[in-house]
Amino acid sequence: MQTFKLAFRNLFRNVRRTLLTVMLISLSLAALIAVDGIMRGMLTLMIENVTSTIVGEAQVHRVGYRENMDIDIFLENSDEIAQKLQQDPALESFTARVISGAMISSSYNVTAGLLYGVDAQRERTVSKLAQAVVEGEYLSGGDSELLIGDSMADLLEVGLGDRIVLTLSEAGTGELAQALFRISGIVDFGTRELDDNFIFVNISAARQALAMTDQQTHEFALNFVNLEDADNPQLGIFQQLNDEETEALGWLDLNGEIGLIIELSSYTSLIVGGILFFLASLGVINSMFMSIYERIYEFGVIKAIGTRPAAISHLILYEALLIGVFSCVLGIVMGYLLGLYTSNFGIGIGEMEFSGIAFSDNILSEFHIIQFTQFPVYVVLLTVVAAIYPARFAAKIIPSDALQRSL
Amino acid sequence: MLLFKLAFRNIFRQRRRSLLTALSMAGGYILCTFSFSLSEGSYNNAISFFTLDHTGHVQIHIEGYVQRPKIHKTIDDPQRISELLDSRNSVAAHTLRVFAPAIAYSDTDNTPAQIIGVDLQRERSTSTLEQKVSSGSYISSEPDSDGYYSAMIGAGISYSLNIGIGDELILISQGADGSVANDIYIVNGIVGDRNSLDRGTVFLPLQAAQEFLSMYGRVHEVSILLNNEGDSRSEAASLQGVLPELTVEPWQVVESTFYQSMQTDKQGNNFSMGVIIFIVFVGVLNTVLMSVLERTREFGVLKAIGSRPGKIALMISFETGLLASLSMMAGVLIALPIIAWFTAIGIQLAEPMNVGGIVISHITGEMSLYVFGTPLLLIILFALLISIPAGIRAARIAPTEAMRSN
Amino acid sequence: MISAKVLTQHRQLYCTANMANPLYICLLLMSFLFPNPALADDRAIELIDEMEALYQGQSSSAVMTMIVETPQYQREMEMEASSIGTEKSFIRILSPRKDRGISTLKLDMEMWNFLPKINRVIKVPPSMMMGSWMGSDFTNDDLVNQTTLTDEYDLTLDETDEMYTIVLVPKEETVTVWGKIDYIVNKEYMVPVSQNFYDDNGELVRKMEFSELKDFSGRMIPTRLEMTPMNKEGHQTILIYEELEFDPPDVDESIFTMRNLRSRF
Repeated sequence: MQTFKLAFRNLFRNVRRTLLTVMLISLSLAALIAVDGIMRGMLTLMIENVTSTIVGEAQVHRVGYRENMDIDIFLENSDEIAQKLQQDPALESFTARVISGAMISSSYNVTAGLLYGVDAQRERTVSKLAQAVVEGEYLSGGDSELLIGDSMADLLEVGLGDRIVLTLSEAGTGELAQALFRISGIVDFGTRELDDNFIFVNISAARQALAMTDQQTHEFALNFVNLEDADNPQLGIFQQLNDEETEALGWLDLNGEIGLIIELSSYTSLIVGGILFFLASLGVINSMFMSIYERIYEFGVIKAIGTRPAAISHLILYEALLIGVFSCVLGIVMGYLLGLYTSNFGIGIGEMEFSGIAFSDNILSEFHIIQFTQFPVYVVLLTVVAAIYPARFAAKIIPSDALQRSL
Repeated sequence: MLLFKLAFRNIFRQRRRSLLTALSMAGGYILCTFSFSLSEGSYNNAISFFTLDHTGHVQIHIEGYVQRPKIHKTIDDPQRISELLDSRNSVAAHTLRVFAPAIAYSDTDNTPAQIIGVDLQRERSTSTLEQKVSSGSYISSEPDSDGYYSAMIGAGISYSLNIGIGDELILISQGADGSVANDIYIVNGIVGDRNSLDRGTVFLPLQAAQEFLSMYGRVHEVSILLNNEGDSRSEAASLQGVLPELTVEPWQVVESTFYQSMQTDKQGNNFSMGVIIFIVFVGVLNTVLMSVLERTREFGVLKAIGSRPGKIALMISFETGLLASLSMMAGVLIALPIIAWFTAIGIQLAEPMNVGGIVISHITGEMSLYVFGTPLLLIILFALLISIPAGIRAARIAPTEAMRSN
Repeated sequence: MISAKVLTQHRQLYCTANMANPLYICLLLMSFLFPNPALADDRAIELIDEMEALYQGQSSSAVMTMIVETPQYQREMEMEASSIGTEKSFIRILSPRKDRGISTLKLDMEMWNFLPKINRVIKVPPSMMMGSWMGSDFTNDDLVNQTTLTDEYDLTLDETDEMYTIVLVPKEETVTVWGKIDYIVNKEYMVPVSQNFYDDNGELVRKMEFSELKDFSGRMIPTRLEMTPMNKEGHQTILIYEELEFDPPDVDESIFTMRNLRSRF
């Protein structure tokens, strides 16, 4: 206890040095929190870019649909599934879609594309389709409404109000069917893949054209209240839906490539974190040694009068512990404030030559509890561990050598 | 000169302090270099991986091909371009390709397919196609004894048509002259797996594809691998000047979606690097301030015996600069082998990752002047910058006060 | 993204229509050239019916030349064709040499091709039967146009001394890409002179011209059909009937079989 009090007082003997050391450690902690927050934010952004544009955080299909997106492989019990989805508390929203390839003709030209029949209101809650509308109106349930990508509209030489005839193969029979639509809106997602090839109509119109009933759906897209739930196959809704006929998969399973990027990303974060820790510990060691050298005369004296080496080493360690704790408190405050700023304003992507709905522009940092529980603990531990070598050094000082030092 | 000698001597006089300061700076340098290497490495590895897959660094097409691919939009004199590229120093390799949509038939099934005709020889050194062959072999460009050409098919086609190595594959398409293109090929290789990007592709020898599509001697795309990826944009611009009638674009334009997501990634990385540099700065600040301000007493004595404050401040800066330089030298010596190992071998992943047929087993970094030089310059700069105000302050204190201080 | 993979497949499926069976159009040309009008004006209807009947009989056989002009190439194909009504047809390409012997059999909505080069019969998937045909100027609308049902168009009739002009305007619900179609019919010979297709704004988008009347089995028939799109520079398709016979004696059921399809020519 006495050693402890002594350690505390010692810190104030050289305020400047103590402050400098505290500054280094607390900034390191704040940096750790900030970097972790940004890394998480980046990951979320990446996931969001993939899922929120069109795909959704999870999807439900009939088993076998995903292979070739065969229009004949549809879910037969849409109401039942919709009910399960509606009742599940883990889900924030869901929507149903009917999907088919189609030949798309205007008075002037013809091209191939992908038709998405969507539930206009529900679709708003899952994807960014409504936000991508740049001209005209979003879908409102009318049978002849059609949204077309801007570059496809260019190819077909059409604008708002123009005729579009879709030619498709009916589900089941494969017989050719045609349907007339009028362009009610033009969308711009900002990526060629989407703008060149996709058209959107109300799901009822699509079902009619494909001779499908309202119980038949190709895909349900879901969004969760907590994004992490999408990865959890044990989750209730996944258990409920997955059987021989139906398949419900999180976005990670649907987009394997992203999983790899995430894995690589977490390795990188780990390494960066490690680097920050090392940097901080360098500062601690430096500081401790400086402080020991400065007091080497003293140590010589007290050792000469009989203080045990262990007591000296404990003193140093306590000093380090106190510095560590002070720094952590400060670091947490700074980290929190910085986090507040970056989670609201984010760090911009800077000059993006291309941009669009598909890529939101700010990385928003995210708070996570471990930033404020695990990290500070690590930092305190780090500080103490870094002080071990200096502490042992101090304990081993030979009084006669130390007392020789003057000035 | 005198100052220099003095500074030098001072450093070695204060061995412990100097050593501590130097170690701290050297340590900061090594860590900083490592993180730069990691950052550059991961960014460039991703690009490299992607561009080697099929894009290349620069691509040449006829105008408008990329936006709306049509079979008749061809490069009619690829010979001339090949000669040009072969003789160009900055180009490591290039290949020629032909594309067409088709329907593939087996005896019982049919499925849509994308035909890619490639110059098999050149493709080997320009993309990772050969490594993606998962069964059978990388085909030859010669027809077999019965006159049939070989084809390599994606795993998706193999599955949909239920055909494998040695089976016949029928392709139907439309020729560049409007005719009905139809022919039989022998499957001698399968590429990737059912999740690969290539799963719906049929690879044919270039000549076979050109014959099939009635486009003799013409190609749709020239894909170029440079010696230095960083030159992609400038090389593309330079080549464009030489080939004004065609469109020459760097991969950043051809694969803009990928590029955009890489940029996003880079932004996040830059933030982390910035934070690391900041912490390194704080570390240097910490170190230099401590070591300079510790010696206030010493400077007080110097002043008392007549040294001018200006000279003292200068000497302090000299010492710090010298110390920083020495520690950087040591830092570089230690960092070199570490970064070299990191670049060549790298950190092993817990589980190797499979990306469309290519296996990634380690995280590797990069060695470059940027990686070694930037932290070096930064640390020396920080050290000097910090020592100036610190030194001035230390030099200004009245001698009596200085000598009383700790 | 998932969309990219999906896209590629669907795109391929339907894009191959670009290289779709070149012969299908001929068959459908013969049967779908004249959409069945609504009952507004009796005389107009009579006229349209007569035009329609011009190229059809119970059965027919023909030898035709089709010339496709694009800015990239000019392609000339000669073919012989037989048909019974609109459900059964058989076409064989006679030239160019590269494509000689390629044959198509259509029974109702199913179609098969025989490709002599590889000596195989392949079934034509539904997707291939749609879309812009082989770089020509006919669209899938012509191919699959189901506006042969009644009550699809409103008709008005104008006449001058020499010509009838029938204007067809689609009803609200009618599935077609055209805003208006008009026919100009020669009074003297009761044959079509031109058919014009307009968009919703009244702009001419493409026109089909009929010329070179010849006598076939007692009927005067325009043997040269030229389809020209107004919005595509340098594109044109020309169909020329070299020979045309109605209810010929040698056209019987045996022609419309797989056996005949496979037979070496």
